[in-house]
Amino acid sequence: MEDAERDPGEELAAVVAMRRLADRMEDAAVERAMRAGWSWSDVAQALGVTRQAVHKKHVRRLIDAGVQLRRRK
Amino acid sequence: MGRTYVDSVLVRAAEEARRRGARLTEAEHLLLALASEAEGDAPGLLSPAGLDRLAVQDALQREFEHSLGAAGVSVADEEVLRPRESPRMPSDIGESGRRVLEVAMAGARKKDLGPAHIVLGILDLKVGTVPRVLALAGVDVEALRARARAVVDGT
Repeated sequence: MEDAERDPGEELAAVVAMRRLADRMEDAAVERAMRAGWSWSDVAQALGVTRQAVHKKHVRRLIDAGVQLRRRK
Repeated sequence: MGRTYVDSVLVRAAEEARRRGARLTEAEHLLLALASEAEGDAPGLLSPAGLDRLAVQDALQREFEHSLGAAGVSVADEEVLRPRESPRMPSDIGESGRRVLEVAMAGARKKDLGPAHIVLGILDLKVGTVPRVLALAGVDVEALRARARAVVDGT
């Protein structure tokens, strides 16, 4: 498609939607992994982020959801 | 001095953002807050446009799925398409929310600012989620703008 034919509004809306989808997939997948007994380190390695980042982002939600979290070894 | 309307609508919009898992309070959260008001000017402005709370939520969801479709993404797991609430309140107001308030405040002193001013701010947006949602919901924007302006001019 020619650049002039592309609607930036459509493209940017698609970016927003995919970002939101990725966030929701991450929430669901991290919760499943932690329920299955994965450690924060395992999840961080699989996501390609630091352990601190994944912990900070998800710990409160998972505790609120009643997920049993593994102690750090 | 009591809390102003704009303070109250911002608090409710932030809660709407949290419930949808958003990190910032955006224009669509202000629209949801307005659409949830049972008293005052908001129901009379928004009901004829078909914009109750459920209709806005439904249009937001359709806009999300439509935009994914435009990117060629289809999702088998319905679960991940649904909004998930965040334990945290949004950290700030986003650019679309800020624009709505700017336009609303340009039209009123802070203590006089009401739902109609916020509606005019929302309708002033040219890009982003809200204009797309209003189009998807089939809202007659000009009629809604005229009703909001009549309320503003009458105060």
